[in-house]
Amino acid sequence: MRRLLRLSTMFASLLLATTMSAGAQEPIKIGVLLPFTGPLAKNGIENWEAMQIAREMINERGGVNGRKIEYLQGDATTPNAAISETERLITKEGIKITTGSFASPIAIAVSQAAERNGAFHWETTGAAEIITRRGFKYTFQVGAPARKYGQAAVDFVFDDLAKRLKKPVTDLKIALLWENRAFGKSVGDGIRAYSQTKGIKLAYDEGYDQTATDMTPIVQKLKDVTPDILIAISFPNDAILFQRKAKELDFNVNAFVGVSAGYSSPDLRDSIGDSVVGIFVADFPPKVNANVLKPEVKKVAEEFYKRYEAKLKRAPAGHAAAGFSAIWALFTEVLPKAKTFQPDELREIALKLDLPEGSLVNGSGIKFTNFDWADDPKDAGQNLRASIGVWQWTKAGNEEVYPPSLATSEAAMVPLPKWSNR
Amino acid sequence: MSTFIQLVLSGVLIGSVYALMSIGLTLIFGVLRIVNFAHGEFLMIAMYGAWAISQLFGLNPYVAAIAIVPAMFLFGAIVYRLVVSPALDKPHLVVVFATMALSIFLQNAALMAMTADLRDIPPIFGRSLTIGPIYLKVELLLGFLITILCTVALQWMIKKTYLGKAIRATVQDGEAAMLMGIPVPRIFLITFAGGSALVGLAACVMLPLFSVFPSVGLNFVLIAFVIVVLGGMGSIEGALFGGICVGVMQSLSSYYIAPAFGQLFFFVLFLLVMIFRPNGLLGQQGAATVGMNE
Repeated sequence: MRRLLRLSTMFASLLLATTMSAGAQEPIKIGVLLPFTGPLAKNGIENWEAMQIAREMINERGGVNGRKIEYLQGDATTPNAAISETERLITKEGIKITTGSFASPIAIAVSQAAERNGAFHWETTGAAEIITRRGFKYTFQVGAPARKYGQAAVDFVFDDLAKRLKKPVTDLKIALLWENRAFGKSVGDGIRAYSQTKGIKLAYDEGYDQTATDMTPIVQKLKDVTPDILIAISFPNDAILFQRKAKELDFNVNAFVGVSAGYSSPDLRDSIGDSVVGIFVADFPPKVNANVLKPEVKKVAEEFYKRYEAKLKRAPAGHAAAGFSAIWALFTEVLPKAKTFQPDELREIALKLDLPEGSLVNGSGIKFTNFDWADDPKDAGQNLRASIGVWQWTKAGNEEVYPPSLATSEAAMVPLPKWSNR
Repeated sequence: MSTFIQLVLSGVLIGSVYALMSIGLTLIFGVLRIVNFAHGEFLMIAMYGAWAISQLFGLNPYVAAIAIVPAMFLFGAIVYRLVVSPALDKPHLVVVFATMALSIFLQNAALMAMTADLRDIPPIFGRSLTIGPIYLKVELLLGFLITILCTVALQWMIKKTYLGKAIRATVQDGEAAMLMGIPVPRIFLITFAGGSALVGLAACVMLPLFSVFPSVGLNFVLIAFVIVVLGGMGSIEGALFGGICVGVMQSLSSYYIAPAFGQLFFFVLFLLVMIFRPNGLLGQQGAATVGMNE
């Protein structure tokens, strides 16, 4: 009898304790929309792991103003799935804050569903220009817009590669190859327009289908053009197929600049081994010169890289570091200032943010705008201080090489050795 | 000129690999009259199998085929028993949805088991063969040879052996065949398992050429459908012909028109064939099964 009494007292106090603590610090729920399955799952899951690390880190520090962070997952495999998953999280689970979503087509869909249902969407990596061009009220794009990737690639060619190749920029033959979906097309358009303003005509400029299984015709065409520099926008599988085919057909360039997704993926290295060394990648920086980071950010960065490498056995790719950076900014710069966590309030806080470059782990700052680009008066919620740089694959991993302020090393292997010497 | 030759040769070689992948599909279609929508996932599983063998035992996929082909035969037999056979006497859509569901299931199971990482094997032959300005990848040449051998062997099997005759009889008239003592359900089982085994062989040929990941099948299964229709549904030499057609067409149109048009072209051809020659380019009127019922 006494035992029963003791047990029930214990149980009652335990119950009391949990209900009390739950009342004191109800978690902040955030909907994370990422492609967890399907063709984009690889990068989606890497983003998820990076975001999980951010959540663990913030919760270990006591959460946001004493409230823990809780994620609800939505599997945004395709744009359609993204819409229904976002709506499910908002209407069924009562989520008011959504984030994600790695890929542009997903980001376009998620932000649309979030806007329609009045939720606050904090986009971490989606890059297509249209994400912020629809005049939405609650969508904030922390990562860089597509044009910035292209600009980084072209600026790098102008400021750095031309000198190393000892040719005036106007004599350089530049070829552009892009996968013809939302991201590749958007970046390709940006590069074309931007190089025109710089007085450059591209020697080759063509799109291809991302699911192409044979790259022979493309490589053969490029061989006919004999470019000095090739700028390519691909996803992992097609980037691998292209590099293999280039080797097979002995297609050589003096410098190879890949843009984001495919060329920044660790899969590329796993697949083609050391052939990857020397390729440049215009992308979110996977890791920047720690000197540009604010001291407190430097510590966060160190911890993130350590945890990510321990968990996934490799260094984060740029998009994963960007996912972490953006979500960490949400945890530390937006949510702590909120009282009601209503989208209108969060929007006001976000619009007031004014963080210099070096405030985020990947070197970015934050300053959102409603009005920046001259050609685009409705570009609301675009982060003007998102950093995009160029890094290079090295034997040991990668080094940021451009712009000089973020660089951890100088560009090497220009001109790129021929396949027969690689 | 050398560019043209390069493109045609590359197209023929890659097309023959597509063909090898499609033979299993056409065989199953020709005999069971069902479309296996999980065909791409069968390919994916077999590629993972060959990859795992190369990781564990350091064997190259051509050798790994000795294990993969029978393993896929067994896998096909199990799938037939569990998924296909119960749906066979139901309305046709049931088997369509059953194999589609299987495809989604397998893709996601692979994602859970293998993650979305791309897996590769190290190159088997370092450099391409060069003939003047023409480059030929040794793995592709091998793929071509294996496809030809496989087509010839299969044709011989269908025409000369008892099993082949039983299959043809089943195709011509299942009920009559059954009355003659041919165990039709078992013929179905063997055909489905055999088709799966052929996908296993294709996977071993493809692993040195392509990375494997859970959704890799999607990149190939549409091509396989086009080939099967082009070649005449159920026809084995038709699949070879269709594969090479698609390969060459893709190669030439991508080069001479635009890379993004490579797929457009053969899908347009696919539509035209469906409209004007629904039995395929090599198919016979009213018989979707040329390879098996002459």
